[in-house]
Amino acid sequence: MNYILEGLVKAFQLLLRGDPETYSAIRVTVQVSTYSMLASLCLGLPLGFLLGYGTFPLKKMVRTLVDTLLSLPTVLIGLIVYAFVSYRGPLGEYGLLFTLPAIAIGQTILALPVVVALAATAVESLDQRLHTTLLTLGANPRQFLLSNLWEARFGLLAAGVAAYGRVLTEVGISMMVGGNIKWHTRTITTAVALETGKGQFGMGIALGLVLMAIALTVNLSLFFLRKRTRH
Amino acid sequence: MTESIYALKGIRHCYGDLVALSIDDFAVAPGSIIGLVGPNGSGKSTLLRMLSFLEKPSQGEILFSGSSEESSTRSARLHVTLLDQEPYLLKRSVMENVAYGLKVRGMRQGYAIRVKEALSWVGLAPEEFARRQWYELSGGEAQRVALACRLVLHPRVLLLDEPTSSVDATSAALIKEASLRARQEWGTTLVIASHDWPWLHEVCDEVFHLFRGSIIGSGMGNVLFGPWTIRADGLAEKHLADGTAILVSAAPNEKSMAVIDPRSVSVHKAPAATEGRANTLAGTISALALQKHSGRVLVTATVDSIHFHAELSSTEVRARGVFPGEQAWVCFRPEDVRWI
Repeated sequence: MNYILEGLVKAFQLLLRGDPETYSAIRVTVQVSTYSMLASLCLGLPLGFLLGYGTFPLKKMVRTLVDTLLSLPTVLIGLIVYAFVSYRGPLGEYGLLFTLPAIAIGQTILALPVVVALAATAVESLDQRLHTTLLTLGANPRQFLLSNLWEARFGLLAAGVAAYGRVLTEVGISMMVGGNIKWHTRTITTAVALETGKGQFGMGIALGLVLMAIALTVNLSLFFLRKRTRH
Repeated sequence: MTESIYALKGIRHCYGDLVALSIDDFAVAPGSIIGLVGPNGSGKSTLLRMLSFLEKPSQGEILFSGSSEESSTRSARLHVTLLDQEPYLLKRSVMENVAYGLKVRGMRQGYAIRVKEALSWVGLAPEEFARRQWYELSGGEAQRVALACRLVLHPRVLLLDEPTSSVDATSAALIKEASLRARQEWGTTLVIASHDWPWLHEVCDEVFHLFRGSIIGSGMGNVLFGPWTIRADGLAEKHLADGTAILVSAAPNEKSMAVIDPRSVSVHKAPAATEGRANTLAGTISALALQKHSGRVLVTATVDSIHFHAELSSTEVRARGVFPGEQAWVCFRPEDVRWI
C-alpha cells in the first residue's frame, strides 16, 4: 500500500510544483482534443440535424450504421488512420504520422458518431409543433435550421460533452498514430500507461487525478444540462 | 370588385388513401372574419394549414392576393400566421419569443416597443412578463404569449385554430378581444376554426360548415349527426340518453348528416303545443349571442350534449324568458331537416 500512498504524495507534488513533463501532457491533451472536438462538432451537428430531421432513402440504415460506429474500438481507428497517414499510405506525403493532427484526425473519427447520433436524437426529440411555429412566424430555411439547433441546444451540448469525454480518455489512437513522443505527442492517457509501466506511480496518479477532475467536470455539466432540459 | 385575399380552386388533399380536404371553390375577402365549424376530423385544421402555406394541397391551386402560392410560398408566409390550439413557445424568454418573428424579418432595431404593445394587447404586463422564461407561464399565459408572437407581426391574415379551447375564461376573453382588435386596427383578415358557435356567430362575417373535408354550407345551421334508426314509416330517429329521440324525415342512410335552419327551430320555456310529429326536446339554454348583421339573438340550447341554435328577436327572448341556465324546450318539425 505504501507505494500507492507515496505515489499520491508525489502526484500532488508534481501538480503543485508545476512539473513541465506533467503539464506538457496536459497541454497536448487539451490542444489535440480541442482540434478534434471542433472538427467533429462542425461536421457532426449539421449531419446530426439531417439525420434527425430529414427524410431520405436508407435513413434507417444510415442511423443503424451511425449507432454501430458508436462502439468503434479506438485501436481500430488508430490502425485505419495509421494506414492512411503512414509513409506508405495515401496521405503519407503530408508527414502526419506521429503528429498532433494525426491524433486529431483519429479522435475526430471517434467523436463524430457520438455527435451525429446524439444530435440526431436531440433533433428527433424536438416538439413537432416547433417546426410549424418557426414556419408560421416567417423563418427562412437557414433561420429554420439555426433555430432548430438552438432549441435543441441542451441536447446538443450534452452530445458535445459526451463526445469530449470519449476523446479525452482514449489511449489507442494517441498511442498508435501519435507515437507517445515526450514533449510533442504524449497525452495524459498515453503518459499514464507509459509511466505506470515504468513504475512511476507519482506521475501516473497525478495525470489520473487530472483526468478524474475533467471527467467530474464533464459529468457535472451533463447533470446541469439534463436539469435544464427537463423544462 | 375587391380581389379576394384567398381563392381556392379545385383543392384536394390526401393523407394516403384518406381525402382530408376536398374544396372546389372557396374565397375569402380581405379584412373579413370567417368562421369554420365542424366536428373533429372534418378538415378545419387541414384547411388552416393550407391557408397558412404550411402544407401544399395534393391537387388544386391556392391564390393569395391573386397570385399563385407556388411561386411565393415564403413571401406569402410573411403575411400570414397561424395560431394553433396548443401553440409551442421557443425555449427562450417571453421577450425573445415575441420578438422572434420580427427578427427573422430583419427588424432588429426598435422591436421592443412593438413587443410591449403586443403583450399589452393580450393582457400581459410587459414589465412583469417580458423577462419570464417559457417554463414560467401558465397554460393561458402561454397561449396569450403565442398570440402576441403573431400580433406583433401586424399580419394581413391571422388564422386561429380553436384558440380558446384549452384556456381559462379570462384568457379566452383576452384572446378574442386581441384578435378582433387586429382586424379593427390593421384590417387583418381573421379565419377562425372553433366550436364556440355563439362567439363565431357574434363576430364572423360568414361561418362555413365543414364535414369530412368538404364545405357543406355557410351561415348558421344546426348540424345533426347519426347514427339514425330508419323506422317502418320512413322517418328516422336518433335515440338520446334520456330515452327520448330526435325524429327527422327519411335519412339517406344511417350515417347521414342533417342540417336544420335556426329559423325553423323554436325554443320555449314550457313545452309548446306542436302539430303532428314535431320534436319537443327538453334541454338547457347554454348561450345567447347577438348576431352581427341581423341584430337578432342566437339562442343555444343543449339537449343531451347536442347544441341546437334558434334565431329569435330580442323581444321574443324576453317574452319567452329563455336565459342561460334555464330549462327550455326545443321544437322543430322532422320535415325541416336538410340532408347533406
